Amino acid sequence: MTKKTRLLPLIVVPFCLTSCGRVSDFRNADNLKKYVFEMEYHQNFNILQLTDIHWNINSSTYESKQYMSKVLAAADAHVKLEQGASAKIDLVELTGDMFMLSNSYEVTDFVKFFEKKSEEYGFKYASIWGNHDRHGQYHPNWLADQFRKAKNSLYYEPNDNLYGRSNFMINLKDGTNVKWQIANLDSGASFSESPLSPFRDYDYIREDQIEWWELEHAAAGASVPGIAYYHIPQDENLKLWNRVQSGEALKNKFFKLEDFADNGNEKYASNFLDRARTQGLKGAFMGHAHNVDWTVQDTDGLIVGLGVKTGIELYYAHIDTASTDPAMQAGLASVGIAENFDLIGASLVTITDDANFDLEHLYLNERASGDFVSWVKF
Amino acid sequence: MKKFFSKDNFILSTFNKGQRIQSLIISLALIVFFVFTAYTFMNAMYAFADCIGSIVCGSMDSALRDATRSLPLFLSCFMSVWAMLLLQAAFRNVSDEKRIRSLKKDAIVLLAFAGANLVAIIAMLVMGKFHSIVEGSPSPLYPLDSILYSLFFVALAIFTLVYLAKLQDKIPFQVPQRGEIVRKGRGVYCVFVSFWMLIAAFSFAAFSIGLFITDFEHYFFFALALTLVYLTNVLFFGFWEFYYNELKEEKKKELLLPLAIFGLIVAVLMVALYMIALATNLDAPSNFGFGTLPIAFTASVNMATLVVVFTPVIVSIVALIKGFRKRKLLKASAEEAKPQE
Repeated sequence: MTKKTRLLPLIVVPFCLTSCGRVSDFRNADNLKKYVFEMEYHQNFNILQLTDIHWNINSSTYESKQYMSKVLAAADAHVKLEQGASAKIDLVELTGDMFMLSNSYEVTDFVKFFEKKSEEYGFKYASIWGNHDRHGQYHPNWLADQFRKAKNSLYYEPNDNLYGRSNFMINLKDGTNVKWQIANLDSGASFSESPLSPFRDYDYIREDQIEWWELEHAAAGASVPGIAYYHIPQDENLKLWNRVQSGEALKNKFFKLEDFADNGNEKYASNFLDRARTQGLKGAFMGHAHNVDWTVQDTDGLIVGLGVKTGIELYYAHIDTASTDPAMQAGLASVGIAENFDLIGASLVTITDDANFDLEHLYLNERASGDFVSWVKF
Repeated sequence: MKKFFSKDNFILSTFNKGQRIQSLIISLALIVFFVFTAYTFMNAMYAFADCIGSIVCGSMDSALRDATRSLPLFLSCFMSVWAMLLLQAAFRNVSDEKRIRSLKKDAIVLLAFAGANLVAIIAMLVMGKFHSIVEGSPSPLYPLDSILYSLFFVALAIFTLVYLAKLQDKIPFQVPQRGEIVRKGRGVYCVFVSFWMLIAAFSFAAFSIGLFITDFEHYFFFALALTLVYLTNVLFFGFWEFYYNELKEEKKKELLLPLAIFGLIVAVLMVALYMIALATNLDAPSNFGFGTLPIAFTASVNMATLVVVFTPVIVSIVALIKGFRKRKLLKASAEEAKPQE
């Protein structure tokens, strides 16, 4: 073996380990199609958002599965009651932080649970990465594979030049026409402003992701209404909140008991909503801040809000009717509930027709005396 | 090289065959318990980090609930650490009497941790906190696996106590004793060494788990840099523990300074490699699969990695200071030994 041939593996092996040369371009028209799943559109298409489930090493997944079973059963019963016996949950959106400090056994168990439930209720489920899903004893690509391989899961993650992992579309089609477009975006985890920063900023929807959304939306049809799901609230949430606080009469509801936990840095503000709202986006729903499910409708009709945290892992708000906190009292007044409860449950979007959807929040607490179940319309 | 690795440099060269076998067995057992410590410490760090997360977010009730359920994880870590201390006691005492006393004390503490874990699990089963003995999460057999782990340490502690009781006045080990830690600054030394040992245990777990969970495909340079940092930490610890601590006292005095300089060069190179890797991809730390950094939350990944990256530098600087002092003492004693003119 010559010196040169001995050196060859040193060059080739690292190259093979990296993804150089195999990255697909999301701007390519053929590649764009690959990001799209299709589902059959019908009136009263129900999307249940579960967020921040946070299975971790401390979790009793036994109890968490019991709780989520109740949430799914309550949602199924609710849509049947409201829309008729044939109604069902069509799509479950898992909007990030499904796991935090978890391991491969728990991930496998989680996917098994959702596969079982999707068979039971007849829904598909889409998983979006949150900042904490990257923080566990499993390879990130392995986690992606679990969602990619599961029978009833909608998940696409190519090796592409698009920022993030879970960027994909679900087109709701009536025959050949796209009636609605559901976008799933990976709002990332965190980034450093410089190599010497001791702390990192929460991530944001990047420019290339907005460009991708615009291309996908244009391909579906310029007039197609859309809803976007992602994990980390963007700066628009705070801007809308500030407008409401300054007295603007925007329709708003539910609880805001902590900050939105976006990066709060104007330099890194995403303009996703500002651009997408001019192109048909009707709603944007996220998670991340567990003590917030505050939702607001802008003057152009765009509804922006956080889902209800699902389950009791990590932290959640205890709503106390005797609290002197004005934010809690404002939330209580908006939902009209006159008893103490925990801010956990789910959020339901029902696409009612070609241009509109309804939004309801479910608060479900397990109690020895009988579970607390409350549906509140936006 | 011969200067560093000559057989005569090591305490082992003064041992007879029986002592060497005893020493080898204890060293191997120490390595096994170091591995146990590494993985159980990683699990405990996971549980602890989640509890800290709940506290930081103002949810003390969630933190307490989670800490209770994960009590077996914390106690398993303590058991592993104490089993290591028990074995260390066989090496690290100035007299046989003190050694037996230490062994007895450590065996009793180990027994207490293992017993407490068994009691806690049974109590939680009775109270319905665990729904079955194999409820699952974080492992398919949890908490049964923790019961079995505790029983192993109960057996080890009882074996040690019975063995020592049967010995009566006989000396349990023939290995030559090592020097006692100097009284001055003993507390600081013990805290520093314990922290260093935990960083090494963590780095071992992070390195070995990281090989399977790190995304080398998308973040090759950063993943490689951090993997090398973990490996360096483990090698540093192994080097000081199994090479330097095995040297004869006079050789320690002679070799500490060159070893510290070499260590510092390697540690600084690792810091440079890490910083360059970070600078080339600022998104990498929170995307490459940072499960190897349990205490690092999304906003503080950089801070956590810096602690890991800089520890060998601090260790080397401390060694360097000690090396200069020992060299000075060596020179002074050589001057004194010179015949007066």
